[in-house]
Amino acid sequence: MSDAGMILQRLGATLVNDVAPKLEGDYSGGHASMAGIMAVMAGEMWDKEADLLVGEITRLKALLAAAGIGDGEPRIESFRISDLKAMRNGLAEQLIELQASIEGKDDEEARALNQQVWSHLVATAAARMPSPPSFGDTDT
Amino acid sequence: MPDQAIDNPELAEKFAAYAEAHMPGARNLRVMQMHRIHGGASRQTYSVDLAYEDATGPKTKGVILRRDPPDSLIDTERRIEFAAIRTAHGKAGIPAPEALFLETDEGPLGAPFFVMGRIEGGLALNPFQIDAVEPHRADVGRDFFRHLGSIASLDIEGSPIAEETDTPPADQCWKRELDYWANEIRTNAREPQPVAEAAIRYLSANPPPPAQKLSLVHGDFRSGNFLHDGAGRINAILDWEMAHIGDPYEDLAWATDLLWCGNDQERAAGFIPWPEAIGIWQEASGCSFDPEAFEWWSLFAHLKGLGIWLSSARAYADAKNDDPILAWSGWFTHAAHELMLAGRLASKHGVKL
Repeated sequence: MSDAGMILQRLGATLVNDVAPKLEGDYSGGHASMAGIMAVMAGEMWDKEADLLVGEITRLKALLAAAGIGDGEPRIESFRISDLKAMRNGLAEQLIELQASIEGKDDEEARALNQQVWSHLVATAAARMPSPPSFGDTDT
Repeated sequence: MPDQAIDNPELAEKFAAYAEAHMPGARNLRVMQMHRIHGGASRQTYSVDLAYEDATGPKTKGVILRRDPPDSLIDTERRIEFAAIRTAHGKAGIPAPEALFLETDEGPLGAPFFVMGRIEGGLALNPFQIDAVEPHRADVGRDFFRHLGSIASLDIEGSPIAEETDTPPADQCWKRELDYWANEIRTNAREPQPVAEAAIRYLSANPPPPAQKLSLVHGDFRSGNFLHDGAGRINAILDWEMAHIGDPYEDLAWATDLLWCGNDQERAAGFIPWPEAIGIWQEASGCSFDPEAFEWWSLFAHLKGLGIWLSSARAYADAKNDDPILAWSGWFTHAAHELMLAGRLASKHGVKL
């Protein structure tokens, strides 16, 4: 069984519903609750992280290409999360430099590109916001 | 789970010896209970019951021991926290604890620590479950903004906090805080931070007016950092570790940050309508309210949050502190503040959300 998302969701529910209450009054009870909540968050992220990263890489490449940096082609060679993150991080560094440079320009083209950058940043932040954990019917 | 009166006997023994030596006239001092309290990730926080005798007979006293961990949410000196509590205790009705001992030497308990009097009968309020304060939401809210204003009203000249930390010029309060948190973000971030970097540039380029007065800033005044009596009164203001001297708007903006109000934008800090909250704060602080200045400090509050959460994530990732609250802060609350900051700055650049 390699369904990591489901396993993490179930582990999280066990920690929050079964383990933490037995530790109530002890400092470790808080640790168990928090670990359970984050197990659920990790399960959700396990499922969507590669998709998020590929989307971010694609948009970053397009934004940089719009400013004349690169050709906009994602060319992803490895879908390991660590490799995708390294690629995304390198592009994000370039985006920070690009945005700082276009903020100093007083022309319509730069303003339009900056709006595209902000739209990307909002979309990225919204997509990465974890869902509120719910343990209502998962306590068995 | 067996009921243990003392969950760290070695620490309790050392603390008993220290307390007896530092409480004039106390003898036969014993630690009767010692429990670590959750939520104190910036310090290891213990609730302690002491029993001892003095010239008038047997006594008991409840105290809170705050010991430095290997790393923490907030990298500040405990002497500043101690001085801030001393500055506020017993003044203007502010329910700050009584500051008892400060020990900067690692010898007695293995790490620097300080001790304050325990305020009895207080209930904590989870900032993500503000509804739990019902049916006393409005009364607690009025106390919340009254104490916030009272802290800003204190005369800082010659105060303990003024002796322990710098007093910035009124027109440099914003810059000192922005520079500090920008450095925290750049030092601790484990990934590029385009939203934070853009915010730093925006806030630098659009500074607020000078502080209308220099005041004691609590630094982390919000739901979750006070206790209430369950009947509508706040009876303890806690967690002074980020205290400093600065612009009163910094506290007002942090206290009303969207993260702490259950996404309730109609009620300030999730408690009472904005006009009422601002009115109480103005009356208690003696300050006036300038929406433009507040806007800067409100955006800054999101950025300061990112600085705290990135520091938390770094401490956890580097295994300097294993408390899972640091991982959660570095993930969930970072994501929340980043989304708020990105949305507000995007709007300022003409993006329709």
